[in-house]
Amino acid sequence: MTALAHKKYSVIPGFSLAIGFTVLYLSLIVLIPLSATFLKSLSLGSEHFWEAVTSPRVLASYRLSFGASLLAAAINVVFGLLVAWVLVRYRFPGKRLVDALVDLPFALPTAVAGIALAAVYSRNGWIGHSLEAFGIKVAYTPLGVLVALTFIGLPFVVRTVQPILEDFDGELEEAAASLGASRLQTFLRVIFPSLWPALLTGFTLAFARAVGEYGSVIFIAGNRPMVSEITPLLIITKLEQYDYAGATAIAVSMLVISFTLLLVINGLQWWSHSRRSASASSGGHEPVVDKPGFARAHARPNPAAPIAERP
Amino acid sequence: MAASVAVPRPRFNGKTHPPARVDTEPLWVRWLLTGLALAFLTGFLLIPLATVFSLAFSKGIAAYFDALTEPMAFAAIKLTLLVAAIAVPLNLIFGIAAAWAIAKFEFSGKSVLITLIDLPFSVSPVVSGLIYVLLFGLQGWLGPWLAAHDIQIIFAVPGIVLATIFVTFPFVARELIPLMQAQGTEEEEAALVLGASGLQTVWRVTLPNIKWGLLYGVILCNARAMGEFGAVSVVSGHIRGLTNTLPLHVEILYNEYNSAAAFAVASLLAFLALLTLAAKSFLEWRLKEQFTTQQQENPS
Amino acid sequence: MSIAISNIVKTFGGFTALKGVSLEVEAGELVALLGPSGCGKTTLLRIIAGLDAADSGTILFDGEDATRRHVGERQVGFVFQHYALFRHMTVFENIAFGLRVRPRAQRPAEKEIQRKVHDLLSLVQLDWLAQRYPAQLSGGQRQRIALARALAVEPKVLLLDEPFGALDAKVRKDLRRWLRRLHDELHVTSVFVTHDQEEALEVADRIVVLNQGQIEQIGTPDEVYDHPATPFVYQFLGDVNLFHGRVHEDQAHIGEAELKARGQLNAGASATIFYVRPHELEVLRRPDGSQAVRAWVRDVRRVGSVIRLQLERLDGHGTLEAEMPRERYEDEVHAVQKGEQVFVRPKNMRVFSEHHHGSGVKD
Repeated sequence: MTALAHKKYSVIPGFSLAIGFTVLYLSLIVLIPLSATFLKSLSLGSEHFWEAVTSPRVLASYRLSFGASLLAAAINVVFGLLVAWVLVRYRFPGKRLVDALVDLPFALPTAVAGIALAAVYSRNGWIGHSLEAFGIKVAYTPLGVLVALTFIGLPFVVRTVQPILEDFDGELEEAAASLGASRLQTFLRVIFPSLWPALLTGFTLAFARAVGEYGSVIFIAGNRPMVSEITPLLIITKLEQYDYAGATAIAVSMLVISFTLLLVINGLQWWSHSRRSASASSGGHEPVVDKPGFARAHARPNPAAPIAERP
Repeated sequence: MAASVAVPRPRFNGKTHPPARVDTEPLWVRWLLTGLALAFLTGFLLIPLATVFSLAFSKGIAAYFDALTEPMAFAAIKLTLLVAAIAVPLNLIFGIAAAWAIAKFEFSGKSVLITLIDLPFSVSPVVSGLIYVLLFGLQGWLGPWLAAHDIQIIFAVPGIVLATIFVTFPFVARELIPLMQAQGTEEEEAALVLGASGLQTVWRVTLPNIKWGLLYGVILCNARAMGEFGAVSVVSGHIRGLTNTLPLHVEILYNEYNSAAAFAVASLLAFLALLTLAAKSFLEWRLKEQFTTQQQENPS
Repeated sequence: MSIAISNIVKTFGGFTALKGVSLEVEAGELVALLGPSGCGKTTLLRIIAGLDAADSGTILFDGEDATRRHVGERQVGFVFQHYALFRHMTVFENIAFGLRVRPRAQRPAEKEIQRKVHDLLSLVQLDWLAQRYPAQLSGGQRQRIALARALAVEPKVLLLDEPFGALDAKVRKDLRRWLRRLHDELHVTSVFVTHDQEEALEVADRIVVLNQGQIEQIGTPDEVYDHPATPFVYQFLGDVNLFHGRVHEDQAHIGEAELKARGQLNAGASATIFYVRPHELEVLRRPDGSQAVRAWVRDVRRVGSVIRLQLERLDGHGTLEAEMPRERYEDEVHAVQKGEQVFVRPKNMRVFSEHHHGSGVKD
């Protein structure tokens, strides 16, 4: 952390104490345990490692985890946009309640969500019963995995798109209409282009969360090897069989994937943010050098932004 | 009388059409979209939530309260509260320290630090538990040494606390960082010019300004701390009455086909989630208000 | 308290905000730091306050070295551009803050604090706002509360960063007169930063004109306006017409016109630029010997009591702007109209030696 040493002068006290504690705590809780895991995987030897992460059962679990996560995130893009649109644009009774309820997947413990979804979508459940009539089985099939992952990723798209829609300048729509655009044309050519960075961010967030999800899935999945067994569950299975090497190898492969996703998400947010602020600050700009002490953050942190877990 | 050519004129039929509003859709489209959105939310959120409460009482009120008051459930409640009581304050202190350093000072490596703070959110809960097993477990780096000194971390309360701290690590920090960045450093500078000490400045100026954001972060942190399942599941060992938190207790009951009891305990957690959502909505309203007055005060 | 600043240098990364600034402020003076944004004026003010540290140079307060003194011990009052009122405290508590945070031994009794805050509130004529919160005040009220808060600790120096910058035109005018009267009452050494020349000219005892981290001129408002030391000061303190020409034996040659030079035209026979303010341009209907430049009227604008003429030189050397009171326009210039031809004669010109000629000017 030598890079942190370089600091601009400030009269505000407490930098060394604050940064010292931050780095120490971060190292003890996050950095050291994560590094230890990577080190452990190195001790496996590359052959062992490769074998562990490419066995047929593991590959099947990747296919399920990634496939279902992609599909769930795609569903959330469509319905998340719909929900955000309805919440921002229309008025209906109970709207504030619905708005608050959108965050339920963040607030509800995953185990509770898991058993509830399993109950609702099983043969005797309220929805599973109706679907059964059409010959659709959800619980204890890969479809169940999809349902759970859709549930868990639902708030991400809504909460990334919502603030953009709220800030959207109504004059742009009026301008489009005055130029003769139909409502659908206005949506497709004027509104949607400014939404899609947020949609992409929401999609990636939902996907990243879904890939690692465990609690809400295992109750509804049925967990049959090669069919409905997700990767995180496989790690637990290996642990229960005292196969620490196998568990570590799979865990490291997942960590690499999640860190890649994290970088992608950061890049996306930086990109969509710079797009937004570039269009916002087209007016005169004042050199910041005259006010070195209080360069104000231009990002308006949105209190309604996705609050809970960002995968 | 000259015959005039009849020019067909649109007849005024007595009805007037107000000009179509350009900024919204026709009524039927609005109804359709609202209906679709609500149907989706009902199927995925409302029905599962209602199911929790309905199944919890499926064997009657007496059975419900029995499930909550039996010794194992009681031990799980106690452990859950204990874990949250350790993890939340620690992450609170960390959040304040990190936000103070990041929001009030300029230094290089800042964006790397912010990314590292967010790291735990990108790790699968299962992996979050596993990393501590690999560090403190019998097969882990420090396992033999810990065993020799008779210290147990994995399959014991310290492991559960560690895993919980890990998964709730960023909550307070990421709530405070943008808030404190938006507030800038002018008020702190004003306090210092007026002769306040560093502690006085933090206590009398900074903390009152961030109290709602702080509470917001704490509530979210607490909800996750009490509800965490995957990470805790890996390090707990599932010893009833000793290392079972509420979510783990729900799992055990459910796997024993004791569905009514499982949902009874689950309803407790669901109730906590609803409380969290209510508090969150209230605080969002407060924070929004704060942000708008702030923007009126210092238009940048 | 007097302030002596010498050789202050401050850099931010690769950018040098202050390039060795030296300045003396006498006790009881009201000094304006005037310059365009980015000139380093706010940085200088923050260094005087102790909110920023200079890379090199010293600051003396009453002859004592205060360069390393902590901001809380400098006994300065600082009024921030956006006021920085504590938003969670009432107006009363904002003003009382500086007294309440004193160490117990020096802290006044509650009664004394009450009295003092109310005295300050009546000084800024806002006693009726004591229990309001900053968000409930208008911009002008916040400004005065910020001033009262700074005065509560009885500072030896009062520093104000763009004190009227965030206010609308009318309030701004009222407040700056009020600030001047207040200063005459209190006589506390004050330094304020502004980018508005009118504000500096009206309020300050002395003006320090800053540009690109350096002092261009220090002087009374009359001195800097009437005798600007550099082209920058000339241009920054008002509109200006430029004439390219030559000086030869006390005669100024501009195009085909020959003008008797007044003032110190000490340049040789070299090419020069003459600086003339719009109100110093005489507009004549008839030629006056060879002492005038010919032009035709492009536009006539009435701005309240003043008439502004836009003139195009007939020799093709660009446009000029002349300004005069309405009476003179009607009496002496016979209300000349668009398209008519006139003769223009500078009543007063200024020449700067060649190496001064700098950035783009109105021509």
